[in-house]
Amino acid sequence: MTEALLSKEIPVPRKWVGTPIKAKEFPRLITGQGRYVDDIKIPNMLYAALLRSPYAHAKIKRIDTSKAEKLPGVVAIVTQEDVLKYCKPYPQIVPPPADKLLDYCIAVDKVRFAGEPVAAVAATERAIAEDACELIEVEYEPLPPVMDAEEALKPDAPLVHEEVGTNLVWHEVFDYGDVDKAFAEADKVISLKLHHHRYGGAPTETHAVVADYDKGTGVLTIYCNNQMPMFCMALIGLSFNMPTDKIRIITPDIGGGFGSKILSYTYMMLISILAMKAGRPVKWMEDRRENLASGTHCNEATFYVEAAVKKDGTILGIKAKTLHDVGAYLRYEPVGALLWIQVSSGPYRFKNLRMDVNAIVTNKGPVAPIRGYGRIQHLWMLERTVEQVARQLGLDPIEVKLKNYVRPEEMPYVSPSGATYDSGDYPTALKKALQMINYDEWRRKQPELWRQGRFVGIGAALFQDSGTNNFAQVRLIYKNNPFSGNSRMAEMWMDEFGRIIVAVGSNPHGQCHETVVSQVVADVFGVTPDDVFVVPGFDSWVHGWTGHSGSYASQFAVSGIGAVLGAAKRLREKIATIAAHMLKAKPEDLEFKEGKVCVKGTDRCVAFWQVANLAYRNNLELPEGVEPGLRVIYTWKAPFKLPDLEKKTVNATLTYSYQAHACVVEVDPETGKVKILDYAVVDDCGVPINPHIVEGQVHGSTMNGIAAALFEEYVYSKDTGQLLASTFMDYLFPTALEIPDIKVDHMISPSPFTELGTKGVGEGSLVPLGSIAGAIEDALSPLGVVITDSHNPPERIYRMIKEAQKKRK
Amino acid sequence: MIPRSFEYLRPSTLQEAVQLLDKYEESKILAGGQSLIALMKLRLASPKYIIDITRIPGLSYVKEEGNKILIGPLTTHDTVENSPIIRNKCPILSEAASRIGDQQIRNRGTIAGTLCHADPSADVPTTFLALDGEVVAMGKDGERVIKAKDFFQDFFTTALNPNEVVKEVRVPVLPPKTGTAYIKHARREGDFAIVAVAAIITLDENNVCKSASISLGSVGPTPLRAVEVENALVGKKLTDEVIVAASELADRGISPPSDIHGSAEYRAEMAKVFTKRAIRLALSRIGG
Repeated sequence: MTEALLSKEIPVPRKWVGTPIKAKEFPRLITGQGRYVDDIKIPNMLYAALLRSPYAHAKIKRIDTSKAEKLPGVVAIVTQEDVLKYCKPYPQIVPPPADKLLDYCIAVDKVRFAGEPVAAVAATERAIAEDACELIEVEYEPLPPVMDAEEALKPDAPLVHEEVGTNLVWHEVFDYGDVDKAFAEADKVISLKLHHHRYGGAPTETHAVVADYDKGTGVLTIYCNNQMPMFCMALIGLSFNMPTDKIRIITPDIGGGFGSKILSYTYMMLISILAMKAGRPVKWMEDRRENLASGTHCNEATFYVEAAVKKDGTILGIKAKTLHDVGAYLRYEPVGALLWIQVSSGPYRFKNLRMDVNAIVTNKGPVAPIRGYGRIQHLWMLERTVEQVARQLGLDPIEVKLKNYVRPEEMPYVSPSGATYDSGDYPTALKKALQMINYDEWRRKQPELWRQGRFVGIGAALFQDSGTNNFAQVRLIYKNNPFSGNSRMAEMWMDEFGRIIVAVGSNPHGQCHETVVSQVVADVFGVTPDDVFVVPGFDSWVHGWTGHSGSYASQFAVSGIGAVLGAAKRLREKIATIAAHMLKAKPEDLEFKEGKVCVKGTDRCVAFWQVANLAYRNNLELPEGVEPGLRVIYTWKAPFKLPDLEKKTVNATLTYSYQAHACVVEVDPETGKVKILDYAVVDDCGVPINPHIVEGQVHGSTMNGIAAALFEEYVYSKDTGQLLASTFMDYLFPTALEIPDIKVDHMISPSPFTELGTKGVGEGSLVPLGSIAGAIEDALSPLGVVITDSHNPPERIYRMIKEAQKKRK
Repeated sequence: MIPRSFEYLRPSTLQEAVQLLDKYEESKILAGGQSLIALMKLRLASPKYIIDITRIPGLSYVKEEGNKILIGPLTTHDTVENSPIIRNKCPILSEAASRIGDQQIRNRGTIAGTLCHADPSADVPTTFLALDGEVVAMGKDGERVIKAKDFFQDFFTTALNPNEVVKEVRVPVLPPKTGTAYIKHARREGDFAIVAVAAIITLDENNVCKSASISLGSVGPTPLRAVEVENALVGKKLTDEVIVAASELADRGISPPSDIHGSAEYRAEMAKVFTKRAIRLALSRIGG
């Protein structure tokens, strides 16, 4: 499967690939010259505000908009009635009965989470729209909310979706190897109950839409910051009573996404309906409270885990029952409950695994494919399990990890679920990270620190960042789901004056695609990155796209660059054909350098502009059979196979970057507060196209992980269903003062499955969740504290310490 | 996140501000706006009239007079933090100001603003109570002095009448052989405290505790004085045993709230821990 991809037709000299040039995007973004959705102003444009539900669960008895309509400046109000006129429910990817689940871009008949949109107002000013929302009268009949996945499974639990008849929306058992045999042969079985909390992405720019409906042509233009809009086009297309060819989607610069911006299609539709009803363009900028309340949360998961182990710490097999709380609607789910399949045994080499997977709806906000989607939960669970295996056997957790890691010589390694880990050296990476924090020194000092009453601990973890997903994995949710593989489209042309232009339309939101594309293209054409223009933003009428387009799942360096390389080679070939004719040479004897095509080893050259001039303006001199113009499109396809539905195996991802983290923390035993004393990361994402950008991604995902481990949690009231962390005063986004210096080093294990040896990097899988939990547990090991939650705020740790001290007395 | 509509008024003197306050019900003074504007944007507060006093001249100053430091109501937290007079003569106020929010907030927020907002978890009110500070209130009928212990009445409620403004804030010049500390337990540096403690300890020539002033933030509807802790310190040599035993009394008479960052029970325990730490730190700062 890998051979086809390893095309050697045109060896690409690597002058720019691998060079840490400054990102092309930085000057405009840093100096405030980026252009975002909020910068778009269309004549006659209105401003929208949404009225959201104050209840977590309630019947909508009546909506009266009459007072709001009378407010001067209000032009249109959309409620469920209008939405039902324009929309069918969104299609679901789950098997029956949950496929009946009704989901629209607004609450219909019932509200299912606090913050769900109930009405949308368009007015001449945003302030008037907000005032109007206060004048809309909604009569609710409050229902008891169900706020916990396990509660939701009880027979008398309130139903979130009556039409489904159960809160369990997906259940499947995956059985790999011989789990029963592994447990029969075990020296010891370790059992744990673990909880992975809800946190999110919190991008700088919240969701934003400008919808502009042109009555004359029937074209609806949606300016938005969705990071995967053409995937969403399928949902929009199937839900909207509107031909998709009349829907044009444009994304300008995007201020972060972290996966949360995949779900904004509901807003894209709601604001479009408002614009159609108003007969004027409408802008909607989400505010921070709205963003925190809806659609920015990661999957919350509870695990019941059992591990079968040998006395020496060898893991024979793992059984896990997982309960994913996916919130009020499925939206992208239950994919998050399935994605462990990309990293089924994590970095470990055990072969026997049984996963009993359950996706459950509750009255919390719907979850989104947040950074590390579905894998973090599983990798964190494995990490906690392995560390408890070590502690319960009286072994060093780090030794046990090293013992169970996949060995570098076993790469590419086929995991129990059929995912192929492409390359890497996990033991070396972990050891390297430990060296960076002076592991031996801390271990030597630790007993003395404990004697002084100082609880200092060391943690280390390695998570994979699986990138370039195979969409066919969703057939394991429901065999009828009609998608598979992965693809990207790129268009490239040399204009009449010899300039190279690339259009990838990848909806980047901080990943600097303009820079890395120009580095790759510069190498193919023997020019500098400054000689390559990458069209910023995305326009579905301009850029080629497939249903897989977008920026998500750590993959641009593989799929996006795959498309760019394919297009570049096509264009180069055509240029070479014309240049060969001009130079009276063979194409294979030519080389590209400094904006010219030359016969190798001679000074016989033609400049790009001369070739381009022949191709366009002087085309009567073109050789016979050569089409004028220098413009090509290439669609890259990932070399995947369909899943084995019988065995439930699938090669779910193409590349496996990984990060090893090591840290030292000190727990204040009087307060439970954790201080990070040292933090180190070793990153391996194969061949980095731009090490500078990779380093930024590593810092970002590390910060994201530290935030999740110690600061950020979407806490809900169990009784009322209200989101209690509803502003940045309570949803604790850390600042630079909370984040320690992060030491970063790199390893390079080229992927054998990609042309440049690159791997996707971006999600980083938030390894601090593992390393910090381990370090806290290590610090408190004299007390025998077991960390079972992925979030550990001071009071939780304080209580664990007090509990443990009470037991010891 | 846009406030409901309001009338904007801009008096040019404090007297004029008082007249406007008196004339319009549901009016509110705008100084630094660091709490008010946020509340208005969340539509949790919707005053009909905003009386912007920020352009009134002469309301930002720090000066020493006798044994008091006089601070103008519009003096920003940043100025309080960095004023040499406050740093030398009443360092705990400077320390408290330095812990407020972030630099942008400290550049705008004012001392009278944070006192009048009377958030029991804010940094300056807790410290002001420990200092036995005074507020000079100005109303239609003249001026009056309100002592810190009378100023804070309930959550976000002060002894000011609706038609009074703060004309001046006064804190004492601390005597020699005094050590102070303001510390807080917070999830992030700039957050409101889970528990905050302001400690002011003065020793006599024999290093016996002559006076102790301990005030706790975020453990009740207003900042609270830990009177029993103070009594357990005064008249004693402050050995660590004395400090630890006294601090154990810090949960007496408090009624901490519960929220997602700390339950009432946890706050009560943290009150003891941070009282102990604040006293130790204050003591360690007493010069020769």
